[in-house]
Amino acid sequence: MTPLVEVRDLQKHFPVQRGLFGGTTGQVHAVDGISFQIAAGETLGLVGESGCGKSTAGRTLLRLLQPSRGEIRFRGDDITNLDSTAMLPYRRSMQMIQQDPYASLNPRMTAGEIVEEPLVIHRMGERAERRDRVAQLFERVGLRPEQRHAYPHEFSGGQRQRIGIARALALSPALIVCDEPVSALDVSIQAQIINLLTDLQEEYGLSYLFVAHDLAVVEHISHRVAVMYLGRIVELTDRTSLFETPLHPYTEALLSAVPIAKVTARRRQRVILSGDVPSPINRPSGCHFHTRCPYAHGRCRTEEPALRMVRDGHLVACHLHDGCASLPLAQPH
Amino acid sequence: MNQTVLRDLAGAAGPAPAPADAVLEIEDLRTEFRTAAGTIRAVDGVSYTVRRGETLCVVGESGCGKSVTALSVLRLITSPPGRIAGGRICFEGRDLLALSEPEMERIRGNEISMIFQEPMTSLNPLYTIGRQVSEAIALHQGLSRRDAMAKAVAMLRRVSIPDAESRAASYPHQLSGGMRQRVMIAMALSCNPKVLIADEPTTALDVTIQAQILALIREQQKTLGTAVVLITHDMGVVAETADRVVVMYAGRKVEEANVADLFEHPAHPYTRGLLGSIPDIEGAARGGARRPRLTEIKGMVPSLTRLPPGCSFAPRCGFATTACHAAPPPLAEHRPGHWAACWHAERVLAGAVAA
Repeated sequence: MTPLVEVRDLQKHFPVQRGLFGGTTGQVHAVDGISFQIAAGETLGLVGESGCGKSTAGRTLLRLLQPSRGEIRFRGDDITNLDSTAMLPYRRSMQMIQQDPYASLNPRMTAGEIVEEPLVIHRMGERAERRDRVAQLFERVGLRPEQRHAYPHEFSGGQRQRIGIARALALSPALIVCDEPVSALDVSIQAQIINLLTDLQEEYGLSYLFVAHDLAVVEHISHRVAVMYLGRIVELTDRTSLFETPLHPYTEALLSAVPIAKVTARRRQRVILSGDVPSPINRPSGCHFHTRCPYAHGRCRTEEPALRMVRDGHLVACHLHDGCASLPLAQPH
Repeated sequence: MNQTVLRDLAGAAGPAPAPADAVLEIEDLRTEFRTAAGTIRAVDGVSYTVRRGETLCVVGESGCGKSVTALSVLRLITSPPGRIAGGRICFEGRDLLALSEPEMERIRGNEISMIFQEPMTSLNPLYTIGRQVSEAIALHQGLSRRDAMAKAVAMLRRVSIPDAESRAASYPHQLSGGMRQRVMIAMALSCNPKVLIADEPTTALDVTIQAQILALIREQQKTLGTAVVLITHDMGVVAETADRVVVMYAGRKVEEANVADLFEHPAHPYTRGLLGSIPDIEGAARGGARRPRLTEIKGMVPSLTRLPPGCSFAPRCGFATTACHAAPPPLAEHRPGHWAACWHAERVLAGAVAA
C-alpha cells in the first residue's frame, strides 16, 4: 500500500550572508537528508530541540519552502517540483496548524471569515453552503456558532487554536502538519486541544505530522516518533519502542531530561548532557552528536552513521548499533 | 478522621505560625492593578513562608498571580498602575513593605535575588557579562573593581561556564540561552543571597539544558543553604525540585502541601485537574496502542475583572455545588501541613470522582 506521504532524502539549506553586499559565506543545513513515511490515519511525531530542523521539515513537506534536494510524494505522486497551479489540488489535502494562534490569524478578519477563507480560495460551494460548513466546523471544534462574528483578539489562546484547527479542517484535508500546536497554551487548555486533535483523527481518518519539543505530548499523540538532531533523524520507531527501549544516546538523554510529574520519578537515574547543541552552520564532523555523547568513540568523530533498521521497524543512526541488532547501550567510558 | 481546622475566613489566614527557620514570610498579600476595565486584584490575599535551604514551588497558569507575588516581594511592581494594597512581607523579621527605597536596594540582589525567564532581556547587551556580574558584586560587597571581577570569574566558573576567564569578556548575544541563564544565576548568587526567586528560569530553554540549569540551582542551594522560590507552570519541574508546593488560581492560593502529598493526594479539584491533564510519559511505554484521554479542565481561566462571586474555580469544577457559587471557600488545613481552599476538599482527598 502506498503511504499517504513519503519523503526521501529531504534537504533544506539556507544560505548565510555576511554584510551589506556580502556573498554567501556558508549554509545552514536546517534539514539534512531526512526520509520518512506517514500512513493514512497515522500520527508521526517529530521531536528535537530548538534549531534541529523539525519545523523546517514540516514546512518543506508542505512545499511552503522549496526543498534543496530530495523528493516528496503525496499519495504516490511526486510533488517536489510542481508549480503553484499544479500544486493547488494537493494543497487542499495538506493543511497546517501553527504554534502561535496569536500570530497566525488575521486580526482584521472575523473568526468566521478566517475559517471560510480556504473554501473561498479553492472555490468550494455557494455562499450559503460555505456558511453552513463554517457553522458545522465551529461546532465540531467546540466554538459557539455566534462566535463567528468575533475577531481573534476577543478569543482566548485555546479558542484561537480552535479557530486555527477549524480553518485547517475546512477543506477536509488528508494530512495536517501540526507545528507545536499546544506549546503556547496553558496545561489545562493543552489537554483540551490534544483530545480534540485525537478525536478529529479518529473521525476523519486524518494523518498528522506532529512537530513538537515536548516529549510527553508527542508520546501521547503519536503512533510513531522521529527524533531529530541537527537536521537529521537519529531515531525513528513506534512510540512504545522509543520510550521503552531508546537506542540512540541522544534519545536516551532527551527522555531522561524530561521532568516527570510524579514524585516517585525523583530517584531515577538521569543522563544530563553537558554543553549546548552545536551550530547548524558549523556542525561537528562524523556523528553530529559525538561532542555531547557519553558513549562516543573514535569512529564517531570521523564517520557519519547511517539511519538503519536494527530491529523490526526500529531505525537508528548510531555506530553503537552497527551490525548488532540487539546491542544494549554501552556503559559510558 | 477529619482533621480539618477551619481558620479565619477571607483567605486572610496563612498556614500555621511561621517556623523558626522561616526566611521569608508573605502574609495576606494583595497587589492590584488599575486598568481601564476597573481595578484587578492580581494577588488577592496570598500567604506563604519559605524556610532556609528549602525549595518552594509556586505553580499556576498564566495570569494566576504567581509572578506578581514574587515581584511584590522585591517591590518591583510599577506604580501606577500597580500597587501593593495590603499585607506584609517579612524578610528575617523585617517588613519589606515598610522599608525606604535605599534600604530596599540593599536587600534586592544582595539578600534576595531574582532570575527571570528570558535571560536575554535581563542582561544589558552593551556590557560584557564579566562586567555585569562584577558590577553587582562591587555594588553590594564594596569590593574594588579588580577584586569584583576576580570574584565574577570565580562565580562564572562555579556555574560551569567553560573557559570562564575568556568568557567573561563576551557579550550576552555571543552566548547561548543556557549559558545566559547560567550568567544570570552567577549574578544572582554572587552576593550569597538568603532567598533566590526564580521565575520560570527554564521555560525558554530546551529540555537537556533545562536539566542542566535545574541541577545547577539545586547544587548551589545545597552548598549555600539558599531558600529557593521556584515559579513555574510545569508540574514535572515541580515534582522533581520542590520540597513544598503552593498552587495558585486567579490570584489566590488554592492549595499548599509538601510535594509528595500534593502529587499523591491533591485536595483541590484544580490541582487534581492539572495533574490529570499532563500526558504521562512514564505510563507511555507500558500502555498499548490506545492512549487514555487526558482529563480536561473544561472552560478557561476567568478574567480577573469578572471573577465569579464564590470560588473562582467553581464554573470549571466538577465538584461545584450551590455553596461554591455563593461564597469563596476559606483556606483550611485538611491534613497536617496540607492546606486547601475548597468546600469539597475532604471528598477530593478521599478520592471521590467529580460529577
